[in-house]
Amino acid sequence: MARLQVSLLALANLLIPVAILVFATGFFPYKPFMPGLATYEDLGWEGKMAWTKEPDPKFDKLVFMVVDALRSDFVFSKESGMAFVQSLIRSGSAIPFTAHATSPTITMPRVKAITTGSIPSFLDVILNFAESDTTSTLATQDTWLAQLKAREGGKLVMYGDDTWLKLFPGFFERADGTSSFFVSDFTEVDNNVTRHVPDELLNSDWDAMIMHYLGLDHIGHKTGPKGPNMVPKQKEMDGIVRQIYEAIENEEHLLNTLFVLCGDHGMNDGGNHGGSTPGETSPALVFMSPKIKKITEAMERKSPIEPKANFEYYRIIEQSDIAPTLAGLMGYPVPKNNLGVFIEEFLDLWDDAADRVRLLLHNARQIKKIVEATFPNLSFSDEFVEDMHCEGSLNSGQELACKWQDIVRAMSSVASLHPQIRVEYIYNFCRTAQNVMSSTASNYNVSRLVLGTSLAFLSFAFTLASLYRRLRDVSASGIFYTLTLVLYCILMFASSYVEEEHNFWYWATSLWFFYLFISDSREQWFKNFIFHPAIMLLFLHRIARRWNQTGQKYAGADDIAHSIIFLGRNSIVLWSLVGATYMDIVLRLAQHVARSLATFISDQSVGEAESTEGHRFMATIAILPLGITAFVFKMAFTARDAPELVLGLNEELLAWLDSTALVEMARMVFGGIALTASWIASAEWKRAVNKKKGRGNGDFAIALFDLAILFLMTQTKAQNIPLYLLFRVQLFFLSKSRSLSTISIRDSNVQLVGYLNLTPLAITLTTLLLTQSAFFILGNSNAISSIDLSNSYNGVSGFNITVVGTLVFLSNWAGPVYWSLAGITLLGSHGKTQRYIDEGELDNRDWIKKEREHLDRLVRQEKREGEMRSGWAGWEEHVALLTLFVGASLVSVMTACTVLRQHLFVWSVFSPKFLYGMAWSVAWHFGITVGLGALWWWVGGW
Amino acid sequence: MAAANPAEKSKSQATPIDLLNYDTAKLYTHVHPILLLSLYFYSFRSIVADPISTLSRTLLPLGVLQIAYVAICLPPTGSKDVVVEKRKPGEKKKAAPGKLESGINGKIIPAFLSLILSTLAATPLLFGILILFGAPITTHIFETGLCGAHIAFLSTIPLVYVHGVDGEKWKEIVGLLLPIDEVYGCMIGTMFGAWMGAVPIPLDWDREWQKWPITIVTGAYIGFAVGKLLGGTLLKGKRIKFE
Repeated sequence: MARLQVSLLALANLLIPVAILVFATGFFPYKPFMPGLATYEDLGWEGKMAWTKEPDPKFDKLVFMVVDALRSDFVFSKESGMAFVQSLIRSGSAIPFTAHATSPTITMPRVKAITTGSIPSFLDVILNFAESDTTSTLATQDTWLAQLKAREGGKLVMYGDDTWLKLFPGFFERADGTSSFFVSDFTEVDNNVTRHVPDELLNSDWDAMIMHYLGLDHIGHKTGPKGPNMVPKQKEMDGIVRQIYEAIENEEHLLNTLFVLCGDHGMNDGGNHGGSTPGETSPALVFMSPKIKKITEAMERKSPIEPKANFEYYRIIEQSDIAPTLAGLMGYPVPKNNLGVFIEEFLDLWDDAADRVRLLLHNARQIKKIVEATFPNLSFSDEFVEDMHCEGSLNSGQELACKWQDIVRAMSSVASLHPQIRVEYIYNFCRTAQNVMSSTASNYNVSRLVLGTSLAFLSFAFTLASLYRRLRDVSASGIFYTLTLVLYCILMFASSYVEEEHNFWYWATSLWFFYLFISDSREQWFKNFIFHPAIMLLFLHRIARRWNQTGQKYAGADDIAHSIIFLGRNSIVLWSLVGATYMDIVLRLAQHVARSLATFISDQSVGEAESTEGHRFMATIAILPLGITAFVFKMAFTARDAPELVLGLNEELLAWLDSTALVEMARMVFGGIALTASWIASAEWKRAVNKKKGRGNGDFAIALFDLAILFLMTQTKAQNIPLYLLFRVQLFFLSKSRSLSTISIRDSNVQLVGYLNLTPLAITLTTLLLTQSAFFILGNSNAISSIDLSNSYNGVSGFNITVVGTLVFLSNWAGPVYWSLAGITLLGSHGKTQRYIDEGELDNRDWIKKEREHLDRLVRQEKREGEMRSGWAGWEEHVALLTLFVGASLVSVMTACTVLRQHLFVWSVFSPKFLYGMAWSVAWHFGITVGLGALWWWVGGW
Repeated sequence: MAAANPAEKSKSQATPIDLLNYDTAKLYTHVHPILLLSLYFYSFRSIVADPISTLSRTLLPLGVLQIAYVAICLPPTGSKDVVVEKRKPGEKKKAAPGKLESGINGKIIPAFLSLILSTLAATPLLFGILILFGAPITTHIFETGLCGAHIAFLSTIPLVYVHGVDGEKWKEIVGLLLPIDEVYGCMIGTMFGAWMGAVPIPLDWDREWQKWPITIVTGAYIGFAVGKLLGGTLLKGKRIKFE
């Protein structure tokens, strides 16, 4: 590649993060929030309404019990285990609702919505994973916690999910946080909360007690909403509700206590959450107090009931409505950034209609401030505006201005106007405002979206320009690559194909492997065509794609990783496979270490040192501890994270595994990998320096590759580890170099196994197809809920955003990283033994002519490969093609997000895809393909 | 894949298959895909409702139609018609020699052969390929098998009828080395159509016809018709070139 092309390519790569940043700031705008605590303000019309003081608060204490992932049917349906709550509903001491939670349905944004009344931006998803980030705390925001704490002598206590402690640092008088580290923990996380309840119920000093139970969510993640532990857990929660409610009835100091039970989000049929299916967005919400009977007399008090539609029980309210309702009931100003509306049923607690109007008007005025800030050009004054057009079609801002005018008119009319009319007008304004402000449309910065997309397109164009020379040679692989690119870009506009993206890659990869078979059959017919390498690749691919069911449409369908083959008593099968995978990698590493031993021990003048039996034996002894530690770590971790996968193992072994220290062990593994890498590095360096002639085989790249696999295995769930064995066999069939393979093939056998002679372009395309497929094969999808966090704290005791972030990425992208590095070694034919055939020595007699031609070809090919390894041109072309794909996919994802920004699925499908696109193009492309790839290529040329 | 002129160097010396040179053949070759597609879309509703029984019931009419097509329109394997003398462009075609000599007997054996081979060899093979390409393996076995049978009948019957069972020939067929003609177009079109048939499956339209294997079979039928048309006209005589 000429210098111009290289600089174009570099520029294209640098443009990618810039484009993403610009687009992201337009797509997930940072919502300015109003700082400070709200105070009661003058409402106007005081004289007319004869208002003298704020409406009396109806409650002075609050027990706020969050049960993570408490879906509406877990409380309200016939199958529910929460009999006591249902009896309260029937007796009228409880008011049930389904509280609609907006996407993203994960805990932190939901807690934000519940406490501030605002609708958190999608940016909170990222912040949810970077929980320690201080900018995301609510310490400076107006919440009902801040309002209660600001009261004289206000004290808060908190038990449960430590998300609250992170969001509200220093807020709590007493607190005990639990983190959801192991999802397999169904009991400890909850007992840790429950043990505080009896004591706290006797304490009279707190204003609000917050509890957040995680067990039910864990059960959902592990066994789904119909799992065997689900109903017992609901009964346990029901018992706690009973305990608290009875204390409220009996204890003098709890007389005026409001008891709220709610879920932060629901769950889908697979037990996961994050998206916006009805199951995920429909948590239950119940207000309980003996005093509520006053308002429930006229209401229908049936329970259990049938849902009106999917998970719709009783009246649907917004989750953000909780904050202003609590404000009214507890008697404090509505939090400043609130977009919730006071729940209508509770108005009846106030006998004086003027109080009701006053309460609502506070709510409306507070929302009006946000509306005014959003529509600065429109008039929201308390005066009549004569020339306001409220007829015909209005945009949302004008509609709100008109509805505010309606309030002004109703408030200013005669005092004897029926108060219910005023209430209606206020509700009309508030609810419209809630809809308008929470609808996403008003939040986009379209010019930035367009700019970001254009920058991505520019990057794409630069890459295309840098590939200009290549574009002229048309080949089947090139056409296949182009079609893949074009089809992928089109598919990004269809929500189902984004959800089911894995199918596209499986579909395209199948055809590609079949094409390789056909293309090879044209050259020379493979005798036993069923065992043709390409057919074997296709066969292995077929197994791998069934390993983990992914996507939305068939979520929860049968797959290999969760099948009976590996579960329960059969887990011995899984562990044999895992053991074999570890064994394979240990043996490979031993070879590399043996070679390094030979280098250090042997005489320097000899040059190429071959490892002997003795070296290999010593090397195996040396590398075994690392392998065993890694394997034991995997077992010990799985015993805690997924106990159902170790049931078939010996109990004493399990007891011993339980006593091991995970963090230390993980550190030992990582340290061992680093140590081995530096040891081999120094040996290879020495080899490279001593080398008199020719280039190396690129063995060091292979050694690093094998070490990287050991690292990736540490970051992978146990049931996915056998996939590495499968990938290895695929790699064997793909590679020309036999030393990469497990089975050592003697020359005579080469014909039997056969190999594919892939062009560099074909290797790049294979890399692309397999990296993308591998992502989904390991069980990922384009939904936020499929991000696996279980391996993100390996070897980390505290919270370090960089380290944890890297580990999260590597554990979710382990498959793509594998194939990305494998692609480099394929491209450079690293580790292939060279023959050193001296052309002059070859006999020229007739009978050997054919053989000579063959060897000649080999010599030329090896020379070419050696040159390829030593130069950068081959690698640059590889990277350019992958950059082209990343650029094109970004352009299409960004365009889809821009064009479809009003689409119903924008938050559940397209924005998660954009987030994944960010990870693919920054972390994977920039970090792995370009960064690590360059390292591999460099050391491969030693 | 690029289509190129037959002038390119290639191992295969084969020439494209021409239709039998009489009017019935020329007419029926165009009627045939219409008949097939009508049969298919006539029974489509019932295929959606009950794939297994309908697909097995329609297999017989499909076989009969295909046999009729090959018998009426195509030169049987080994017949002189396979070898077509080179003509200068514009030169008038000579009258088909001895179309009567080859007679019924010459047709019956290849026709039977093609029917038997399609059922016994091609169907299991296509079943395997379907599985490799992602067909369900623990469920829907009969659906996949019938899907394989339909694809086999569509693609293989004409091929066996004209090319017989010569191993070398079949290696060229698999390697896509033969020049494109109507029969070869049928095969490639059917296969490609079946592969494309997987596209609508993931869509969230919740239609009954999205279920396995209806889209695949539909794709195969449409692919057959398109491949036959293109192979017999536009692309005739071209060769598939990979590099």
